[in-house]
Amino acid sequence: MTDTIVVANLSKWFGLKVAVSELSIGFRPGVTGLLGPNGAGKTTLLRVMAGLQRPSQGEVRILGVDPRQDTEIYRKISLVPEDESVYDRLTGRRFVELAARLAKIDHPVERADTVLDTVGLNDAADRALGGFSKGMRQRAKVAAALVSDPEILLLDEPLNGADPVQRAQLIALFKRLGAEGKTLLVSSHVLAEVERVSDRVVAMVDGRLAAVGDVATIRAAMTDKPRRIYVDTASPRKLAAALITGSDVLGVQIDGDTVRVETSDAADLARRLPAIAIDHSIGISKVEPVDESLESVFRYLVEGR
Amino acid sequence: MTLALHLYRRIMRRGRVIGLLALAAVPGLVFWLSAFDAPDDELITLYTDVLASVGYTFAIAALILTTATLRDERDSGTLPYIYMRPIARVNMAAQSLAAGTAAALVIGVGGWIASAVALLAVGGDLQAAVPSLSLFVAAGFGYAAIFVPLGYLVPRALLVGLGYIIVVETILAFAVEGLAQISIWRISLSIYAGLEDGFGEVARQAMTPVTPGVWGGIAKLAGVLVVGLLVLTWALRKRDAL
Repeated sequence: MTDTIVVANLSKWFGLKVAVSELSIGFRPGVTGLLGPNGAGKTTLLRVMAGLQRPSQGEVRILGVDPRQDTEIYRKISLVPEDESVYDRLTGRRFVELAARLAKIDHPVERADTVLDTVGLNDAADRALGGFSKGMRQRAKVAAALVSDPEILLLDEPLNGADPVQRAQLIALFKRLGAEGKTLLVSSHVLAEVERVSDRVVAMVDGRLAAVGDVATIRAAMTDKPRRIYVDTASPRKLAAALITGSDVLGVQIDGDTVRVETSDAADLARRLPAIAIDHSIGISKVEPVDESLESVFRYLVEGR
Repeated sequence: MTLALHLYRRIMRRGRVIGLLALAAVPGLVFWLSAFDAPDDELITLYTDVLASVGYTFAIAALILTTATLRDERDSGTLPYIYMRPIARVNMAAQSLAAGTAAALVIGVGGWIASAVALLAVGGDLQAAVPSLSLFVAAGFGYAAIFVPLGYLVPRALLVGLGYIIVVETILAFAVEGLAQISIWRISLSIYAGLEDGFGEVARQAMTPVTPGVWGGIAKLAGVLVVGLLVLTWALRKRDAL
């Protein structure tokens, strides 16, 4: 299977800020999750792929074509932008019909009806977009993107604001489109979300590739990261002495009534901690994992490369 | 013309249109107020003088309206919905200019109607107001050709456009003949002057050093339109569409 999207040595900067740095990667048909914390460069990468922004360096090829050179490529590629912005005064149906007409689709009214049905928005389609919930807007944007039946679909945080039912429906739709041989790139800052959409994940941090592979690989890499856990207790010295004997405990520090533990296996520590408390008659008032943000995990992945 | 129609509808918001029609009607109002005691044989002269000197309000209305053509899309984050379509950039630029021009013409015709009604109200002949329609129409085309690309290219397009109207068209053009020759207002006045025999002295001063001439003015406007089209096409091709 050949790559439908090829990104070669791509960099994009805005003044002194580098949003994407020397990125080279290919995407094939199917669903790929683009994972990374806010500010990782996901949106910029998608915008450059979509031809909305010029690369500062390097190039992007969509089905072999530079999207900024040949507008006909927009019959084959669509973007669902992250921005909530839509035409508030238009109804959902008129919005999708407008997309169909601009895309020069035959029978735009019928096509709009079909895609509105696909995203489950037909019942609300005659209401103004301004009155739509965030999740409904997302579905309207997906419908507008699907109207040209594109081979490549770039989705920037498409599940934002969707309720659990809407999420499940959209995820099922993305999977179905991927199975039909379309290339879908779904960005998110939530690993669990990406995990539900796709097996293949591209993780980005600070505009660079942090990891590429299946979800299991990414998870394993994340599990290896040392974690810090704060435990509040009335007997900090006693608890520290008991904890330090564990092979997974890398260090212990006492700060007043708080024991700061650094561990290589947070899950194992969580299992052992109640037993230690009971065995040594130590009262524990609070257990707080810190440094758990996705951003910190991603940074660990980047630093470990 | 789907894109042109969409852009036109988007910029012609009710509140904006009402406000700009009021602005474009200012010359008519000023003429009405100043023509109360004017002798009948001086009405047309006064009419041309007022339009030429106060008509800049239409330039400002056209600026506000036409810079919004693509700027509204850009500011509200909806530009990707029109940009990512299989429409050649030159076609996209032409449709944007068409939308901006149509919007400016609607306001311009509104301004002209106000001035014609004012002429009627002070006892003038409606026939005498007909040539002045050319002033609004020509200015509508000319300003759209400049301000639609400006709105897309420059973040503070209104400020820059206002600077153009005030500094270039009303100050520098008096000093630099080259600038005067490409001043949209003067070109539009030259077309009007070519159709109106009773052009007043103030109006002639406002047009100086451009000489009256319908076809010369139209040719200049056509040139401005072509340049506007080329600049906007270039911008759509080369600049980030966000």
